[in-house]
Amino acid sequence: MKGLRETADLADRILGEQEIKKYTYTLSRSEKQEINIENGDFKLMRTVFNNSASMRVFMDERMGSASGNDISEEGLRELAKAAVAAAESASEDPCHDIAPDQGKDVFRQGVTEPDMDRLMMRIREFLDAVEKDYPEVKIMNAIGSFDRWTWISRNTNGTEFEDFAGQYGFMIEICATDGDKSTGLDYSSFITADLDKPFIEMGEMRRHLEEVRKRLDPLALEGKFEGTVILTPGCAQTLIGITLSNYAGEGVVIDGTSQWLDKVGEKVASEQLTVSFKPYDERIVMGERGTANGFRSEDVTIIDKGVLKAHRLSLYGANKTGRPLVKNTGGDMVVEAGDRSLEELIASVDRGLLMGGFSGGQPGTNGEFSGVAKNSFLIENGKVTRAVSETMVNGNLGEAFLHIRGISKDVLCDGSSVVPYIAVDGIVISGK
Amino acid sequence: MLEDVIAAKKDLFADGVQTVLRGHENRNRRVVLLKGNLVQNSRSESRGISARVNNAGTYGFASIAEYSPEAAEKVLRAATENALFLGKHTEKKLILPASTCSGSIPINYGIVDTEQKRIIELCQTFDSYIVKKYPDLASRTIVYHEDSQDRILYSSDACSGHLVTPRCYVYVIMSAEGADGAPVELFKALGGFGNFADNFSDPGKYYPEIDELYKKLMDKKEGVHAEAGLKTVVLGGILGGMLAHEAVGHTVEADLVRGGSVAGPSLNKQVASELVTMVDFAHSYNGQPAPLPVFMDDEGTKAVDDVLIKDGILTGYMNDRETAAEFGMQPTGNARAWSFADEPIIRMRNTCILPGKNSVEELIASVEDGYYLIETGNGEADLTGEFMFGVTCGYEIKNGKLGRALLDTTVSGIAFEMLKTVDMVSDEVEWNSSGFCGKKQPMAVGMGGPHMRCQIMIGGR
Repeated sequence: MKGLRETADLADRILGEQEIKKYTYTLSRSEKQEINIENGDFKLMRTVFNNSASMRVFMDERMGSASGNDISEEGLRELAKAAVAAAESASEDPCHDIAPDQGKDVFRQGVTEPDMDRLMMRIREFLDAVEKDYPEVKIMNAIGSFDRWTWISRNTNGTEFEDFAGQYGFMIEICATDGDKSTGLDYSSFITADLDKPFIEMGEMRRHLEEVRKRLDPLALEGKFEGTVILTPGCAQTLIGITLSNYAGEGVVIDGTSQWLDKVGEKVASEQLTVSFKPYDERIVMGERGTANGFRSEDVTIIDKGVLKAHRLSLYGANKTGRPLVKNTGGDMVVEAGDRSLEELIASVDRGLLMGGFSGGQPGTNGEFSGVAKNSFLIENGKVTRAVSETMVNGNLGEAFLHIRGISKDVLCDGSSVVPYIAVDGIVISGK
Repeated sequence: MLEDVIAAKKDLFADGVQTVLRGHENRNRRVVLLKGNLVQNSRSESRGISARVNNAGTYGFASIAEYSPEAAEKVLRAATENALFLGKHTEKKLILPASTCSGSIPINYGIVDTEQKRIIELCQTFDSYIVKKYPDLASRTIVYHEDSQDRILYSSDACSGHLVTPRCYVYVIMSAEGADGAPVELFKALGGFGNFADNFSDPGKYYPEIDELYKKLMDKKEGVHAEAGLKTVVLGGILGGMLAHEAVGHTVEADLVRGGSVAGPSLNKQVASELVTMVDFAHSYNGQPAPLPVFMDDEGTKAVDDVLIKDGILTGYMNDRETAAEFGMQPTGNARAWSFADEPIIRMRNTCILPGKNSVEELIASVEDGYYLIETGNGEADLTGEFMFGVTCGYEIKNGKLGRALLDTTVSGIAFEMLKTVDMVSDEVEWNSSGFCGKKQPMAVGMGGPHMRCQIMIGGR
């Protein structure tokens, strides 16, 4: 089997033979070792050896792309042929481009040799701890995994990035049961570069295990009121992600339907809110090093103390709109912590919800949202009282993040994001 | 199309263990025109071989991104090693259920590649039609998406065969400025099972649907929020299908039943009105091909229909071979995998609530104050049967007549409570097969239903 660098040289030769003057490609090899647990017992061990190759070629001002997982010489020749066919079919658009020369660099992150016996030990230790400390909790599914990959990316402006990385991951799907009664599903996960700590102490595992058993006897809410919703970190991350996509994403900026189209430099959210993508933050385990456009990744702040700093534009979007591009593809979200404890946030709420998840229709670009408050608790007079079921939340994302009551100093660090609790006012909460 | 290069490797299957060897290719074509700009123009193919081995109670699975006899040997070895490794860490001793089928399932269809040029031209044809006829739109997006699958499978103790599932769609998304200046959107998926030429040789046949989409968007831009609470609604057929999939389908997947789903204690009990009968169809419905036909699953089980609810009584679950043995049921071919790198897990195929006797007009006319909900974009369900799905198009019903359009909202409920409120069912079925179901892996599924009158929670202001 050829080394990836050798395969890259082959790709250059093949594209050169076709007289393609401008192109970029990424080649990768990956390996996954995955332990699957079902209903608390080991069920399946899965190994995946995969490759990938993606090419973007430019013929005059026409762009075509092709991807696949065959990185043999024959496979690369077919891939180049498919990319050229796509480019030849395209209409001219000079806004499609490749990054200028970013130099050459080799990135190394995480661990590249797995310790499977230790991984099995950590998983078994977790299962035993849950059985002992949380007997009502059922681990419906859990997956412990080790992933490693290497990729090389080049473009005809001279950039060459090479990356070697590996990480462990663990996720659980849990519920609590009592006779015929069962709670809904709850989820938690993290990634890590080492196996130094027991899994039960990682990410938000304990909080999810603690809370799921309190949801066996939920209250079906009746009536409707406007209240405060404290978003758990996972829920806050979901809703912030949708908001940024719907208000500042590439599609809505290019087609001009963004409600934040001309708001760069203006206040779009509460001054308490700062949202960044920080691949170099020390709490991020496997931060992005090269963007999908071929730029060296940078830490980027999108909202700074409530002020919109940038739209999330790729090179194409930036060229198309004449606005600045963002050298970050969008993972590794970091939301700045606040100055209040979660308990203080809860104590400040007269009536509302502590919301563990949002399950709703995909909010449109107007930001309207409507959905079920999953894994949630009622807050009354500053105290968490009952778990709730059949409870809906309704509002507007843009409005919600303008009306932030407070942000916690407690944050979730799951290896891929750093997010606190966020309390937002003015949400319509409804039951039967 | 995949050529069979793995047949001879069946000789390597070990005695006393259950083995499935699968060659699998996923093919994608994608073109996106955003307001006339070609922002995506891509072709993708991935193929490889996987093996799953059950040895003394644990499963080993291995896959490799090569399609060759040598790759088949490698994955058979690696899957066996994985099963042995895991076996050292568990006391679990699964007794393999007996096979329910044998023999070979013949290839069911072909995959025909289409030049990228024709795909781009198709998107431009739809875009030009919209721009010319509806210049007042704020934006429009045309997405061509094809994700075809081709798999060859050999099983040590069940069926072998070659299954092909081509499907392609054009998603038309329109955006207009709403009354408050904020954008309002609506989308429609056109196409279905088959290759490009099967679906798009005559783009003009879809123009009436595009015209209807525009009309509904114009209604929606003047739309109002629903009033939150428990309401009487008429669910359109597309939502009926979503209800079948999300509200009921997921709760009766046997792996979720084993995990504690509400369907566990509800077997053979009344879970719905007597008007409700629901089936997960394998490959045919009413003598015609089902939207996404499945003739065999990825354990080698021959696919047959699975009656889940009969006249309101919960009669069965969807199973793989292991859960079928556990629950004393017959496996019906629901163990499916999305790519060569994925192991089979329990998935739906073409899940449908069967039609009743009323006309759609009768259903709408019967509602004094409620909503007619027509289109949906996504949905989710939980172990408790609590479900939700987004509603992207709907209207008020006042005194039996349609009123103002609705802005986007969401409906929710507890499946086995909500289904008991179904008191009228229309006499036709609408199918949808353009989406994905997410459950560790994506999966292409069909879902269908009639119009139904029922009580449901709706979100709003």
